[in-house]
Amino acid sequence: MELFLQTLIDGALIGGLIIVVGVGFSLCFGVMHIVDFAVGEWVMLGAYTAYWLVRYLGQDPMIYLPLIFALFFAAGWLIYPLIYRAVSGRRHHPALMGLVFTFGLSTLAKGGALSAWGYHVRSVSTWLSGQSVSLGVTTLPALRLAGFVFGVLTTVLFMIFLYGTRLGVSIRATAQDRETAALLGVDVRRVGALVYATYAGLTGMTGVLIGALFSIHAAMGAKYVIFAFFVVVLAGMGYVPGVIVAGLLLGLIQSFVGVYISGRYTLFALFLLMYVSLLVAPRGILRRGL
Amino acid sequence: MKPLRWWAICWFAGVLALVTVGAAGLVAAQQAAEYKVGVVTSLSGELAFGGNVTKRGYDLWAETLNKAGGVLIGGKRYKVRLIYADDQSTPATAAVAGERLITQEKVDVILGPYASGTTLALAPITEKYRVPHITGSAESPLIWKGKFKYTFGTIPTVTIIAQASIQTLAQDVSPKPQTIAILGIDDAFSKFAAEAFRTAAQRFGIKVLRFDIVPEGSDYTPAVSAAKALNPDIFAMGSHEKAAIEMIKAAKELKFNPKAFVQHYGMTTPDFRKGLGKDAEYVFGTSVWTPNLNYQAKILFKTPREYAAAFKARFGSDPDYTEAASTAAGIAFQEALRAINAAPPLTQAQKDALIGALERLDLMTFYGPIKFATSGDYYHDNAGLQPIALQYQGGVTVEVGPGKLRLKAPRYPTPPWDKR
Repeated sequence: MELFLQTLIDGALIGGLIIVVGVGFSLCFGVMHIVDFAVGEWVMLGAYTAYWLVRYLGQDPMIYLPLIFALFFAAGWLIYPLIYRAVSGRRHHPALMGLVFTFGLSTLAKGGALSAWGYHVRSVSTWLSGQSVSLGVTTLPALRLAGFVFGVLTTVLFMIFLYGTRLGVSIRATAQDRETAALLGVDVRRVGALVYATYAGLTGMTGVLIGALFSIHAAMGAKYVIFAFFVVVLAGMGYVPGVIVAGLLLGLIQSFVGVYISGRYTLFALFLLMYVSLLVAPRGILRRGL
Repeated sequence: MKPLRWWAICWFAGVLALVTVGAAGLVAAQQAAEYKVGVVTSLSGELAFGGNVTKRGYDLWAETLNKAGGVLIGGKRYKVRLIYADDQSTPATAAVAGERLITQEKVDVILGPYASGTTLALAPITEKYRVPHITGSAESPLIWKGKFKYTFGTIPTVTIIAQASIQTLAQDVSPKPQTIAILGIDDAFSKFAAEAFRTAAQRFGIKVLRFDIVPEGSDYTPAVSAAKALNPDIFAMGSHEKAAIEMIKAAKELKFNPKAFVQHYGMTTPDFRKGLGKDAEYVFGTSVWTPNLNYQAKILFKTPREYAAAFKARFGSDPDYTEAASTAAGIAFQEALRAINAAPPLTQAQKDALIGALERLDLMTFYGPIKFATSGDYYHDNAGLQPIALQYQGGVTVEVGPGKLRLKAPRYPTPPWDKR
């Protein structure tokens, strides 16, 4: 029973991390129909930024979260016009162009990070690192709990923003039908830039958490593309609230398969789930995606 | 104006011809004067850190040898030139990179990759083109079981090395640990490290409570929780350096506190200590070389200490055994080349003769004896080295066994996380 509860908690907290990466990615796909291959590299760059800030300015990496959000928001805002050019329909396969463009961004970021910062495996620690909260017979790692809360909170705030504000309505309108939204006076380009910048900012912040939990190196982002993609497919392409359910499901599967069957079958279980989900419910497990 | 133009054309043609001939001559002279040593290793991707571990070892060999003038063949000295190819941490790319080095760069010999998976992909290529290949890093037994004629290795297979720490824990601490949980990463090296832990545990009468293999890049919390529930005395993990760091972080978060942590490979690298700080304390690991060994040699570096000092002066950190073994791989080539008196570039017959020379090699180096096995399960592996158990104590790795190899007593059991 003790192990069961711990497995449940481990799974939920792994899910929390997947949610954090998945939520921006999902929105980015929903609004701009871009599968951003560079999602992992935003995580990596966020982690490195935290590492260098701590190295040169000291303090706990957590206090740099707002600064990192601002920096990555700005970077996303600046990069967006390039993406817009790549996918703006004047080319033959805009979706494919977006894919290729972000793949290029990802390669550039990975190579750039390796050249600029070298091959060493770096670590940062926060005041939450290594801490944990005991809850009955189970142990909740504090930093992971923070990641989980951060993920769920961001998603909820996002939903409030999307469903409760005028700008949110225009974002959803753009996601639903770009041309009609433009006809009705929505500045689709600005909406796109805002979404991409927010996504970059959020994912950069996630990098701080992930960097503190695991380790920081140029190739660390690779696996998050897969997870983000899994989440988005499972959640329903572009359906943001689904990310919470899908992230939790993925985390729990990893955890339960890892503990009760064998760690070597976790990827198999995840791929199987994705396959079955695409076969049975191509619009996501909640049937709300595109 | 016409005659002048003719003159100009003749002059230009003359200069061009001179430059071309000169350059060709220079290139030819350069080619004749040095050995082209191809290096396939991971310079980017997941294993970039490890790839650079081998690179530092190979570089130090080439630089030191060239500073001394090069390899002495028939009264003349020939330098070596390392030509790198990045395997991007993936086996398929390692094969392509090796093929490119052989067919386009026309390298004489090859120094092999950091990881076993990439080495296993490169070995059939060097076999196909009949190019001698020594790895200074790969430890998977699969490489030696493959009986590749052209592939050699300076580090004993992990099935030999990984036993040292378990043996030390079984024989040199009290009370003797009774149980163990083992985790391995799913790659050609790490899962055999895990297997070796299991074999050693069974040999020394330690009960294996759990044995699991997880994919590379996994989240280790489920594995840690599963092990924690069984409360083993020892938790042993076979992985590369990054996973080793992440596992200790996960264990601390979940307050998993076995009496001993054993890690192979990774705990001997500077990033492990830097990344974990005092959480690295008490962790056990294994090695086949430390600067404290008493080898006396005559080639390039006289003692392990001299090597360690040269390494620190060049790279600013202490060498671990993989770096030493990579340098030793270069020394093996250099001595075999001397033995067959082969000046560069090597002909195919000379490359084949080099294999014979490597098989006959019986050397004492700063890294220890080099003598490649010529039959059995360790075919072409330098399997004769004595594995040493290490433990982090006071921010450095110290030799704690097995038996008389101990310089300091192993600290056991490991205290709780907040008391380290």
